[in-house]
Amino acid sequence: MNPMNTASHPQQRQFNPYTENGGTILAIAGLDFSVIAGDTRQSEGYNIQTRYAPKVFRLTDRAVLAVNGFAADGNMFVKKVKQRLEWYRHAHAKDMPLHAIARLIQTMLYARRFFPYYVYNILGGIEDDGSGAVYSFDPVGSYERETCRAAGAAQSLVQPFLDNQIYFKNQQPALGTSHPAHLPLPQVLRLVIDSFTGATERHIEVGDGLEMFVVLAKGHDLAGLEGIAGLQEMSTKSDGERIFVIRRELKKD
Amino acid sequence: MFLTRSEYDRGVNTFSPEGRLFQVEYAIEAIKLGSTTVGVRTPEGVVLGVEKRVQSPLLESASIEKIMEIDTHLGCAMSGLTADARTMIDHARVTAQNHSFTYNEQIKVESATQAVCDLALRFGESVHEEEAMMSRPFGVALLIAGIDELGPQLFHTDPSGTFMRYEAKAIGSGSEAAQSELQDKWHKQMTLREAEILTLRVLKQVMEEKLDHHNVQLAQVTPGKGFEILDEVKLKELVDDM
Amino acid sequence: MDHFPGNWGRLRNDDYDAYGTFPIPHRPSNAPKDTFSEGVQRTQQPIVTGTSVLAIKFKDGILMAADNLASYGSLARFKDVQRLRPVGDYTVIGAGGDMSDFQYIQSLLDDLVVEEFTSQDGHNLGPKEIHEYLSQVMYGRRTKINPLWNSILVGGLKDGQRFLAYVDLLGTTYSADTLATGYGAYIAQPLLRRAVEGRADTLTEEEAAKILEDCMRVLFYRDARSLNKYQIATITASGVSISDSKALETSWEFAEGIRGYGAQTQ
Repeated sequence: MNPMNTASHPQQRQFNPYTENGGTILAIAGLDFSVIAGDTRQSEGYNIQTRYAPKVFRLTDRAVLAVNGFAADGNMFVKKVKQRLEWYRHAHAKDMPLHAIARLIQTMLYARRFFPYYVYNILGGIEDDGSGAVYSFDPVGSYERETCRAAGAAQSLVQPFLDNQIYFKNQQPALGTSHPAHLPLPQVLRLVIDSFTGATERHIEVGDGLEMFVVLAKGHDLAGLEGIAGLQEMSTKSDGERIFVIRRELKKD
Repeated sequence: MFLTRSEYDRGVNTFSPEGRLFQVEYAIEAIKLGSTTVGVRTPEGVVLGVEKRVQSPLLESASIEKIMEIDTHLGCAMSGLTADARTMIDHARVTAQNHSFTYNEQIKVESATQAVCDLALRFGESVHEEEAMMSRPFGVALLIAGIDELGPQLFHTDPSGTFMRYEAKAIGSGSEAAQSELQDKWHKQMTLREAEILTLRVLKQVMEEKLDHHNVQLAQVTPGKGFEILDEVKLKELVDDM
Repeated sequence: MDHFPGNWGRLRNDDYDAYGTFPIPHRPSNAPKDTFSEGVQRTQQPIVTGTSVLAIKFKDGILMAADNLASYGSLARFKDVQRLRPVGDYTVIGAGGDMSDFQYIQSLLDDLVVEEFTSQDGHNLGPKEIHEYLSQVMYGRRTKINPLWNSILVGGLKDGQRFLAYVDLLGTTYSADTLATGYGAYIAQPLLRRAVEGRADTLTEEEAAKILEDCMRVLFYRDARSLNKYQIATITASGVSISDSKALETSWEFAEGIRGYGAQTQ
C-alpha cells in the first residue's frame, strides 16, 4: 500500500476501554499475622492524577484486599466484592472466611473471562486456623496461597527483593543454622517500608504515600505495633482478629 | 376442624377470613399419613431413622428410598408425599454444590435448610410467560441432618416453609407417640450408639409390623465420615442389640 | 427447575435458555430488543469538543474555571458555550471532551435532581452523591463500549465538607486539592500544585481566583483549542455561583523578540 495514501482509507479506530494507573501493592504472611500494603499514587502515563487514591481495602475483621492495575475496574471490583460479603453475612450469619473470599474472588474474576477486570488482586488476612495467609490472583482468576507477593508497576523490582529476604533465595544459612519459615512482625514491616522506598526511588509510578494494613490473629499481642507513628485501628471489635493501618509518606518526585 | 370448610380452601393462595391458608394446613395434615421418621442429635453426630412400610411380600424393600444424601456432610429423611421431596432435595443438592464451588467451603446446615424452605411457598397461579410454578404446596416434611462449624444439627421443615432446629424430632403417622418417647429418653450427653438404639426403639414402638433390618432404614452424619446410610450388616447388629 | 432464587418470579427468556438448564447464575434478560441494533453506531471519537477544566480547593470552598469554546476539530466553532453547570444546590460540574455527550449528561442530572426533589424524603444530592452517580454512568457506558466522551470535574461543598473529584470516559475517578483536565493536566496542573498544595485550607477566594486566572492565561497562550473568554464557578457555604464570561488580559509583545521561528529577514 502506498504510505502516502493512508489518509484516504477509512481508518478503524477502536475505543480502548482500559488504561493503566500505575502503583504497586504487596503482601506478606507471618505465622499469625499478615501485612498488606500499597502506595497511594494514581497515575496515567506521565501524569500524576492524585497523590492519594487508596488501593488497599479492609473487607472484614480478618481480610484485606489490595487491587492494582486499571483503577476504575479495581474500584468497581472492590465494591462488588464488598456487596457479596454483605449478602453472605445476611444469608449465612457469619463473616466470610478468608479462603472463601479467595474462591469468591476467583469466580467473580473468571465470570468476566472474556472482558476481564484489568486488575491484579492480592488478598491477605487470617485463616480460620489462625494462620497468616496471602492469596494472589491474576486478572482472570488464577490464584494461589503464598507467603509473599508483590504486584503492579514495580513488581519486577520488589518481588526479587522479597524472594531474597522472605524466602532466602540465593542465601546460604550459616553453618549449623537454618532459615526461619516466618519472620516476626517488626522485621516484616521494615521489609515492606524498604520495598516501597526502593520502588519509589527507581520507578516513576510509585510514590507519594504508603498504606500498610496489619491483620493480627485472635489473641496476638501488639508486639512491635505500640507507639508506631501513624497507626490507626480499623477493627470493629477487640476480642477477635484485629486490623491496623499504618500510613507513611513516600517521596513525591 | 373440617366443619369450617368454605370456599376459602379452594384457591391455594387465598387466606380465609380467619387468616389461614387451608391448602397449606391440609398439606401439613398430609404428613401425618406418612410413615414415621425420626431424627436424634447428639454431640457425636446426628441419627436419622425411617420406617419402610412393606405393603406386599413381593415389594423389594431396598427400593424404598426415604433417606437421601444432600452433600457429604448433609443428609435428609422424609415423611409424606415422598415424590415431592425429590424436587426439594434436588434443589438442596444444587445449592450445596454451588456453595462449595463459589466459596470453597461446605454449606451450613441452616443455610441448606433455608434454601429448601425457599421453595415451599412457590405454588399458585403463574403469570403469563413466567416460569411455570407448582400447582399446590409440597406434601412432605423433611428432617435435615448435618454437621458444620456449629457442630451436629437437626432441622425440621414443613410445607409452610417454616423450619426449626431440634435435639430430637419425629414426624409422620406415629409422630405423637414417638415425640413424647423422644422427650422422655433424649439427654444431652447421648452417644451416637445410644441415639441409634433410641431411634430404633422409638420406631419399634410405633410400627405395626415387627421391626427388623428390612423395614427400617438408619443413617447418620458424623464428623469423621460425614453422611452415611447404615448397611444391612450394621443395621442388623443394632436391631439385635436393641 | 431453576435453582437460582434470583431468577424466581421473573419472566423467562426462551431465546436464551428454553429449558432452564443454564449452569451459571445468569439472569434471563428481558430488555426490549432493538431491531436496528446492527445499524447503531457508538461514539468512537468526540466531534464538537471543549478543552481543559481547572479546579482548586480554597479556604471556604471550591473554585472551578473553563473557557467558552467548543471546537470542531481545529475550527473554533462555538464561542459562547457554558462548560460549567450547577447541579442541585451544592455542586458544579465542568466538562471537557464531547459537548453533545456533556449536554446529555446534564439532562441525566436534571432528571436526577427533579426526581430527588419530588420524592421530598429529606435527602439532598451533594457533590459526593453526584460524583458517585456520574462515575457509575461513565463506567457503565465504557463497559458497554459506548462511552460518554468526557473528562468531568465535580466540585462542591455540603455540610461544611469541600469535595473535588474527577471522572472520565473510562470511569476512572480520583480526587485532589487541585485538578485539571485535558491540556490543563499537562500545563496548568504543575502550576496549580505549586500554588495550592499544602495551602488549600488558607487560600482566600481572591487568591484562588488569581491562581486560576493565571493558569487560564497560560493555557490560552499554549493551547491552540482554547479561548480568551472563560467563566469561574464559586461554591461556598453561601451557595453556587457561576460568573459571567470574562476576557483574559493577554500581551503578545514578547512575540516581537522571538527569533528563530518562521520567515524572518534577520
